Amino acid sequence: MTDGPIIRLEHVTKRFRTKVAVDDVSFDVARGRCVGWLGPNGSGKTTLIRCMLGLARVSSGSIAVRGHAMPGGAGAALERVGGIVEEPRFYPYLTGRGNLEVWAGFLGGESRSRVLPALERVGLAADGNRKVKQYSMGMRQRLGVARSLLNDPELLILDEPSNGLDPSGMAAFREMIRSFVEEDGRTVFVSSHLLDEVEKIADDIAIVHEGKLVLHGTVAELVGAGRQGLRLRVDDADRAVVVLESLHLVRGVERRGPHELRVELESFDDAFAIALNRSLVQAGIGVAEVVRERASLEERFLEITGSTGDGAP
Amino acid sequence: MIAASLRTITGRRGSFRGGGIVILLGVLLVVTVLLAVNELRPGRNPSIGGQPMLDGVGGIVWALGIVVAILVGSLAGSYDVAQGTMRYLVLTGVGRVRLYAGRTVALVAAIALLLLPALGIGCVAVFALPSDPGDEVSGSALADAVWTATLWPLVFGLIAMGIGSLLRSNGPAIAISLLFAFAASPVLTLIGAWKETLGDVMLLPALDRITGGESSVAIPVAALAVLVWVALPWVLGLARHLRDEY
Repeated sequence: MTDGPIIRLEHVTKRFRTKVAVDDVSFDVARGRCVGWLGPNGSGKTTLIRCMLGLARVSSGSIAVRGHAMPGGAGAALERVGGIVEEPRFYPYLTGRGNLEVWAGFLGGESRSRVLPALERVGLAADGNRKVKQYSMGMRQRLGVARSLLNDPELLILDEPSNGLDPSGMAAFREMIRSFVEEDGRTVFVSSHLLDEVEKIADDIAIVHEGKLVLHGTVAELVGAGRQGLRLRVDDADRAVVVLESLHLVRGVERRGPHELRVELESFDDAFAIALNRSLVQAGIGVAEVVRERASLEERFLEITGSTGDGAP
Repeated sequence: MIAASLRTITGRRGSFRGGGIVILLGVLLVVTVLLAVNELRPGRNPSIGGQPMLDGVGGIVWALGIVVAILVGSLAGSYDVAQGTMRYLVLTGVGRVRLYAGRTVALVAAIALLLLPALGIGCVAVFALPSDPGDEVSGSALADAVWTATLWPLVFGLIAMGIGSLLRSNGPAIAISLLFAFAASPVLTLIGAWKETLGDVMLLPALDRITGGESSVAIPVAALAVLVWVALPWVLGLARHLRDEY
């Protein structure tokens, strides 16, 4: 184990004949973080994950996982890496426990002793002796996570892990992912198209679009850098518009109702909120409500992928 | 790792357990037929056990063993890619060559496990059931029969695994392996009509030679020929296994 990034991608490109699936992607994943890997369908998310895990070769560039170059150093790198790629697959004719025992047999070491704890961790201890062909999609996802835990991974790479989960299952899954990071100190790299889910679990986010990395940063940075605004309810909307448009950070004011306004801002801080409120009150305008509005990750995602893609808003 | 591989092969009820039961039923059928003919015409069929039982059991285990070994071997080669479990085997960090070699050893063990109960019951029947003194079986005759009934299925099972690894799809792998065993291999022996020595290094004559048959080539040459016939699809399967992205 080294102290450097747990994943380092340098100018990674993956081509399938003429199609470029991953296009010159470079970024580091720091240890002990949950990183959300976002992108529209067909944007190259899974392809990059397959390259990271040594399942596919890069066309150019380099990938290092746990300090080992992939795929050449896969043996050493994967010793403590767990993953789900596309969907978890098992031997359907074996039980859940039997499947984990098979994988523990391949992993060797102490992994056999982790079979039952792993089943317990994902809430499948009671169903461990049922055949996998009887499992629901959600149970298979959880079993996939249990399999990923058998080698006590420093890094978990999960590709669309919440597919097939119902809302309560998703909440439990979210909690489990956070516990891997906060309680176990593992790094989790999770790809998803469920943006609100990722916003709730990830510390950092990387957005890929048409194979290119278009944004990488913390969730707070990404969301904070998006459109910001205020929703106001006042007693005299016409006069309020005039006052608001004179303030220097205001980009525009939109009427949403007889007494409601939405103010688009260049940036926002507490001092500005106080100044805005004071200006309105000094002008004799009654302010009933001021609510801060931030772009959600979803809005931000659409903003970014739309602007770099086909020009859609 | 080999035990884990073996478990994935033996866990498939249809091919492994079903195949094992079919072979056992074949042995029971031989026993039943010999009991019946002895009962009906004891003068003409004085032996139930002994050589008639050995011929019957050896033949049925040989024939059914080849078919079942082809099924098991094809699936051993193709199933993980077709099912999508291959990528998770690669994710264990075990090298692809080791995975392939481990699967090969596991397949040999699985085929042995398939044949063992039937051969065991057959051997007991050979010696335990009454037989005419003229039909007594020697140790070497028994060993020859067991060797033949084991080696042929093993060879065809390993070839099927290579084909399965190459094709990566269960149905086609089984079909092509069966075609190879029961159509292509007999056709290839016809080369012997043109050049006898060349015909004798085709798979069926070479296998026959090392399991007691006569031919124009020496046993080591025949053994080498069988090895090449097994190695060819095995190496091609390995090459695909190494090259593929999962």
